[in-house]
Formats: sequence, structure tokens, C-alpha cells
Amino acid sequence: MTIMLAQSDAWAGVDVTRHLFLFSPMLTLICTMLAVVACPIIVGRSAKTIGTVAVLGIIASFILALRVAGEVASGGASGLSTQPGEGLLLVDNLSIAFQLILLVFMGGVTWLWWMGSSDSEENAPEFFILLIGSAVGMALMVSTSNLLMIALAIETASLPSYAMVGFDKRDRRGAEASLKYLIFGAISAAIMLYGISLLYGLSGSLSVAGVAHYCIQSLASGHDLVITLVALMCVLAGIGFKVSAVPFHFWCPDAFEGAKVEVTTWLSVASKAAALILLARLVMVFCAGIAAPEAIGILSPLAWGIGIMAAITCTVGNFAAYVQTSAKRLLAYSSIAHAGYMLMAVAIFVHPHSADSQGGISALLTYIAIYMFMNLGAFGVVAMIVWDTGNDNLSSFTGLLRRAPMLAIPMIICLVSLVGLPPFAGFIGKWWILIALGQLGSTLGWFLVIVAVFNTLISLYYYMRIVVKMALREDGQPVVAFPLGGMALVNFCAVALLVMFVFAQPLKTTSDRFTRNIFHATVEETAVVDASATQPIENVQR
Amino acid sequence: MEHIGLTHYLIVAAVLFCCGIFTMATKRNAIGILIGVELVLNSTGINLVAFDRYMGPGRLDGQIVAIFMIVLAAAETALAVGICINVYKNIATVDVDMASQLRG
Repeated sequence: MTIMLAQSDAWAGVDVTRHLFLFSPMLTLICTMLAVVACPIIVGRSAKTIGTVAVLGIIASFILALRVAGEVASGGASGLSTQPGEGLLLVDNLSIAFQLILLVFMGGVTWLWWMGSSDSEENAPEFFILLIGSAVGMALMVSTSNLLMIALAIETASLPSYAMVGFDKRDRRGAEASLKYLIFGAISAAIMLYGISLLYGLSGSLSVAGVAHYCIQSLASGHDLVITLVALMCVLAGIGFKVSAVPFHFWCPDAFEGAKVEVTTWLSVASKAAALILLARLVMVFCAGIAAPEAIGILSPLAWGIGIMAAITCTVGNFAAYVQTSAKRLLAYSSIAHAGYMLMAVAIFVHPHSADSQGGISALLTYIAIYMFMNLGAFGVVAMIVWDTGNDNLSSFTGLLRRAPMLAIPMIICLVSLVGLPPFAGFIGKWWILIALGQLGSTLGWFLVIVAVFNTLISLYYYMRIVVKMALREDGQPVVAFPLGGMALVNFCAVALLVMFVFAQPLKTTSDRFTRNIFHATVEETAVVDASATQPIENVQR
Repeated sequence: MEHIGLTHYLIVAAVLFCCGIFTMATKRNAIGILIGVELVLNSTGINLVAFDRYMGPGRLDGQIVAIFMIVLAAAETALAVGICINVYKNIATVDVDMASQLRG
């Protein structure tokens, strides 16, 4: 079959086996989904069996992703196409780095699920199909620069998420949360698709490089400017919904509060991070479409648009978190605020030819890796409190340092890290975003630096309120019983935050390595894209 | 008599888009909102097919996207109806104003 494909004209010059290998982490996840479907027929619906199959699939996918990372280190490849930029999918350092983070995080969420639900869960196969399905969607979101594929990937990530939020059919709050999530998601997806149809009509191309080429001309000449900006705003609305950027954030607190804690943990990091990397990739392709480094100012309306959205998002998130009494809801607003900080890194528009062109994206990747541990730890503690006391009200945390010191200490570490104070990794993440913004040297950069510092100060209060409650208040509640594995998970996250702070420089070096040679944004690829109409077909590098 | 061109199709699509947005904004019933979503999706389909027809011969990208979108809309509707039934079982209505237990 492979040979036949390779011999037909359309596939001439494509090494199909190699390309399938490049996409093997995603293909493995899809095979794991099928295995989870087949499992109840062959060995029964036991939750532990299904969980084991899923974990094996995640590990296999992780190993393959590591091998692919070595393969694409020197440059990306476009999926099953000899023409760079023509393939619907692509693999490069950035997409592989995100997939590695995603798989580690999925392992953590599965671990949390195992601790909390594996004894009582009757619908484990369905849960893992939805979880892995949304993971495949998120992996696709970061592995494409084609408008059709972006829309499909966002929907693939969203649809299982809606179902996961309302997973417990008897839970009224879960049902309500999934309805709200679904309605906001369906509306923003529809608007985004309308924007995509306009962009396709205006530019005549579905590839983001072609769209960027058209948009830059439109911004420079003012021709059809209004309709171009409206179309771009429609697309931004769809991505902003996934990021939960203000004003598309209304679903976030409701969905997070109504869902099971494992699902909340999953959505709080994975879906936002995928959308942020997707947006960062679009920004990079737009920047790569600019002819000369000095002309980057043409894109400043877009940079200001994203920058102001980021500033509003983190301010709204932080202020709304003040009045919350539910821990899940508080962390939901905290995740909106953090999405704002990460959006600031996306608002850095730098031409790929200029010095330090990867500062913003590298800072974003580091932040996502750190944020994953902070949230996994904080939500892990919340989960164990919910399992023991039955609610996630902040009053359940009173006196936790006495009732369960092994939960309270990692919780304090995660919260201090979420504020962004040393000596924990949250500080490192924020520090590099601020440095990248400062190096930008523009008004927008300094404006965002001020907003970020101001927001860090106001966020101190509501995080510290929980710390004070846990450490200094006392109302005689009983000792918390918790599973040992869960305690190990949250303590592992806390130690990881400390280690990442100590080894900050190696972390940054790794992040820099993973953001080099990004498809479409590197010098060689840009040249090919610019001249795609006349360029002879070139083989993808082997 | 004026010849029917690209603009006419785009105007039809834009009107449909506005109808969809208006429906989403005014309907309180979840099914009604989803009908609004379908209107917007269909306006997108008209746009894509019209662009393909008028922007030169041999263009297929838009039509392929339109087919994918029909599939997407079907998947989304199936899931949406499932969630609506679940909500109806729990609170005996699909009025979004009644879904007010989560707020703050």
C-alpha cells in the first residue's frame, strides 16, 4: 500500500513512511482511543483495566514524541506534501514540545482520576475516549497552519470537552455547566467559521501564510481594510474562546465549577495552552510574511489588539477572583488571569530575521510547562479536599496545615508559585515573559509590563487569603483522609516547582531549543512561501 | 435585468449571518440558540461555495471546507441535543435563564 501511494503522481517525492512516523504520537493516541473502545468487548468494563490501557497508550505516545523530537530538531516538515506550506498538518519543534507537555499532563490527570474515580466509575471507557479525543484535537491545534484544519482541530478539542464537563448524568450542576460551555462554544465556533470563509474569499487561500500575505497588503494599502479586520476578529473570537480571553471567558468559571475536578484540571491547562500556541503560531506566520524587519510596524494594530485583550483578561480574572467562595471557581478565575499573562507573550510581534526573534514564544512555552505543574498541584489538593469533605468551599480549607500538612504544604507552594513569587518556578515563568516584553522596547511592551506587575500585586491578596486560612485559622474540623498516591502527586508537583526554579537556566535553554526552526517562521521556509507560486517543487528535507 | 454575481450571494450570506446572530441573542431556549448557530454555519457555507464559483475555474478548497462544515455542524448538533436532553432530565427545562445554579 505504501509503495502504491508513493508511486502515484500526487505522492511523488513524499516519503510516506517517514511522514507517518512524524505523526506517530497523534496516531498512537487515536489507536489508544480505539483500544479503549475495544476493551469492554474483550476484557470487560473494569475502570482499572481501561485506565491501564490508556496509560500504556499515553506512555507509548510519549516515547514516540521524544523520538520525533530528535527527528525534527533541525527543521519542521509539512504533512504528506512535497510543497512546504501545502500540507494540512505540520510537525516542528514547537508542536512536538507542546505534545510532550500535553502527554505529561494527561498522565497527571489520569493519575488523579485513578486516585479519585477508578473505584466507583462505571463509564471509564467513555471517559477516556473523551479525554484522549480532546487531547488529539489539542495536538492537532498546534500542528497546523491551515484554516480548515484549525477549525477542525478546535472542534475536535471542544466537542469531547463539552461532554466531559457534563459527564456525571445525575449531577445537575454538571448538566448546567456543559450546557453553558456548549452554547458559548457553538456560538464562537460558528463566528470563527464565518471569519474563515471571509478570509478564504479575500485571500483565495486556506493556508495561513497566504492569508497573512493578503492581510499585510491590506493593512499596508488600506484596501478592503474593514472587512479584513472583521474577518480577523471573527477568527480571534474562536481562538479567544478556547483561551478564555475576556470577553469570551463567561463559560470558564461555570464549566470549571460544574465539572468533576479531574476534568477541571484538564481543561484549565490543556485547552488554553493549545489555543495559545495556535495563536502564537499564527502570529509568527504573520510576522514571517513581512518583507523587512523594519516594516513590522504594519502589524501593530494586531499586536495592540491582542495586547489589550491580554491586559483586560488578566485584570478581569484577578478582580473577579476576589469575591469567590468556591475553590474551583477561584482557580477558574485565576486561570483566566494566567491566560492573560500568557497572551501577553503572544502579543510580541517580532520579525524572524531580527535578533532574539524567539524570546516571546520561548517564554510562553516555559510558562506553560511551569503552569502545568502549578495547576496540577493546586487542583490535586482541591480534589482531595472535595473527595473527603464533599464540597470545594474555601471554608473546607481552614486549618489544613494541622489537618493534613502533607496537602497544605504543596498547596502553599503552588499558590505562592501562582502569584509569581520566588523561590518557586512561577516567578521564573513571569520573569521571562516580562523580559521578552521589555526587550520589545515598544510602548505596547512597557504597557504590558506595567499591567502584569500591577496584576501580580493584586493577585497576591486572594491567593494569600487561602494560605492564611490554611495556616493561621482554626475551626476544629476533623483530619483529612487522602489517598497516598494523590498526596505523592501534589508533592511531586511542589518539588518540581522548586527544582524548576533552581534549574531555571537549563529550562530556558531547552525552551529555546524547542522554539528554534519553527515551520513557516524560519528564514528558508519564508522564502519558499513568499515565492510559492513560482517555486519548483522541493522535497521535504530528509 | 441585472446579472447575479458574487455580491448577491455574499449579501444573502451576510443577511443569514445577522439573522443567526439575532436569534442567538434573543432566544432563551437552548434549542433556539442552536438553530441560530446553524444559520450562521449555513451562511458560511454559502460564502465558501460562492467564492469558489466566482473566483476562477477549478477552485475546490472552499467546497471541501463547506462539506467539512456540514459534518461539523451535524456532530455539534448531535452532541448539543444530547446535552439538552440531559439538562431537561435534571431541571425539566432547556431555558438558559433557568440554568442559574452556577454564578458569581
